[in-house]
Amino acid sequence: MASISLVVVKRVKPLPSWVAPLLSFTLGIAVATVLLWIVTLGRTDPIVVLASIGRALAMPQLLLKNFALLTIVGIGLLVSFKASVFNIGGEGQFYFAIIAATWIALFSGVGAIAIINKVLMLVVGVLLAGFWALIAALPRGFLGIDEVPVTLLMNYIAYYIVDYLVFNPWREPKYKYPRTPTIPEESWFIRIPGTTGTIELILLTVVVMAGIWYLMNNTRLGLAINVMGSNPNVLRVVGINPSLIVVSSLVISGMIVGIAGVSYLAGEAHLITIPAEACTPMLGYTGILVAWLSMLRIAYVPVAAYIVSALINAGINIQIAGAGKASVVDVFIGTILLIYSISVIFTEYSVKIIVKR
Amino acid sequence: MYIVQVLSTTAPLMLAYYLASLGHSIVEKSGVLNLAIDGVFVLSVAVAFAQAIYTWNNPLIPVVISVASSIAVGLILVYTTSKLPVSHGAIGLSLMFLCYGLSGVIGVPARTQQGLTGQEVGYPISPVSSVWVLLYIVVVGLGFLLHYILERTKLGAMIKASGEDPLVAEALGVDVLKTRILAGVLGFALIGLGASAFELLYTRIWREGTGIGHGWIAFAVSLSSGRHPLLGIITAFLFALLYEYRFSILAVGLPREMADALPYITAITAMVIYMATPLKTKLKTPKSLGKPFFKEERTI
Repeated sequence: MASISLVVVKRVKPLPSWVAPLLSFTLGIAVATVLLWIVTLGRTDPIVVLASIGRALAMPQLLLKNFALLTIVGIGLLVSFKASVFNIGGEGQFYFAIIAATWIALFSGVGAIAIINKVLMLVVGVLLAGFWALIAALPRGFLGIDEVPVTLLMNYIAYYIVDYLVFNPWREPKYKYPRTPTIPEESWFIRIPGTTGTIELILLTVVVMAGIWYLMNNTRLGLAINVMGSNPNVLRVVGINPSLIVVSSLVISGMIVGIAGVSYLAGEAHLITIPAEACTPMLGYTGILVAWLSMLRIAYVPVAAYIVSALINAGINIQIAGAGKASVVDVFIGTILLIYSISVIFTEYSVKIIVKR
Repeated sequence: MYIVQVLSTTAPLMLAYYLASLGHSIVEKSGVLNLAIDGVFVLSVAVAFAQAIYTWNNPLIPVVISVASSIAVGLILVYTTSKLPVSHGAIGLSLMFLCYGLSGVIGVPARTQQGLTGQEVGYPISPVSSVWVLLYIVVVGLGFLLHYILERTKLGAMIKASGEDPLVAEALGVDVLKTRILAGVLGFALIGLGASAFELLYTRIWREGTGIGHGWIAFAVSLSSGRHPLLGIITAFLFALLYEYRFSILAVGLPREMADALPYITAITAMVIYMATPLKTKLKTPKSLGKPFFKEERTI
């Protein structure tokens, strides 16, 4: 009797690194489209779905906001991923920055003072986001407790803290809707006409990319973070405490994600609506997709962010059988990520089918 | 009498959390990091709801199909992470997104049909019914059975060995892939069962997003109990009690959100305690949890 087995073998020469992301985008979109078609029993027309994605890709002015926010979050997560620290807590850090920025804008008394308000929102937002990341970073760095479940569960704690603040002390007093009052117009980021983006957001994106590029390539800390990801023992040999590198990579990661949080509040939302766990734009999660698909290279983060933001916009346009935009976007994101997570190993390995007789 | 009432009102949620957390514990005992749990839970909830609508509340079909879909997703997770050198976290989170999405796409048309027909789903069992006593006995019995399987049988030893050190287990003659698939089928069946209980006994309604976060509570139940089937009875009951009575704790002066956040806070605290104290020997995370298990094969 013949038996067939699959054997995974290491390649002599690895495939070029762009193969896996490209494959997962094209194959992922195809598979997700077919999957939607099957699950909705033929009620979604694959052509309409693909056309919608094509249209979204061709309209950069509408993608600008999500593109820039995702680039910032992607870069932020990349810093921790480089150190093999998996910051899944982007959502919590994002919301902690929003909490800080909202407090500055509404209750600190400087909300209406131009320039100072935005600078303070950013500084305090980034610090508080970093603090939230620090809570997960310390047990990871010094006790070796897996950061994945910790950062993940902390997202929900952060949501509920937001819910508490907005439902009680920060609730808008007039109609008692479950949201804060709108932050003063002086603290809003300035919209670029004809687009969804703001001037400050674009500036921040450029600054974050340049800053993290410099950090990772030209500083001692950046080098240590890179080494941490490949071989922490090297750090011990040269006298650097790996725990400190773990903590700093996670905290920096959280702070950068915080920049996106402040930008989202000042440029887009202008108030917090609760329940946060339902109203979140989910950028902390989608950012993971962006960081992974960039193969942890800073220059590729915007490319991945552009495609993912197009998928988000396309999902908004596809109203499949009444299912909300989030569901459709999630099917696409999930499929692409899944195919990427599997196909990325075939850069270094190949599968052989063996028939034994 | 008051205690009986508390026990029976907490029962549906306790049942859902406990079953799902038992499943999660078994999967993770075998070494597979299960970040797909919330997605799988939400998907199974939507499937149970949709099938209940389409079959006019058939008592069996919704549960069976819901459990089957949970197992299907679980097998993707278990097979890929045990056969290929892939990241457990990445596969788990991808499946989470995919399941969130599919739950909406599957549930919404059924919800639309429900809007037209007014069909009700699930089983509103009265809090004074003795059915709850029976359910408690069955579920606690299941916990003891799984504890027995894990601690006293060969299968349990194989599952734990695969989670602690799969390479050594393999050397000792355990087929790690088969063991994990077995643990995965059992575990995800329980997760699907928990999700069905959540939909058909607890919420009995559905809208887009129903169940999101409750899978993580089951995850937190499992983590807080150190993946121990018997300790899980206590944590599942406590978290269900907290959720059920979250509005009542307002009376004590604590915000409702505190009750919402407490399972997650407890889970993180428990992880720290289990790692840093002598409880470590019994309740710590399996040593190879989430580590790629991969034997490089050179011979062709």
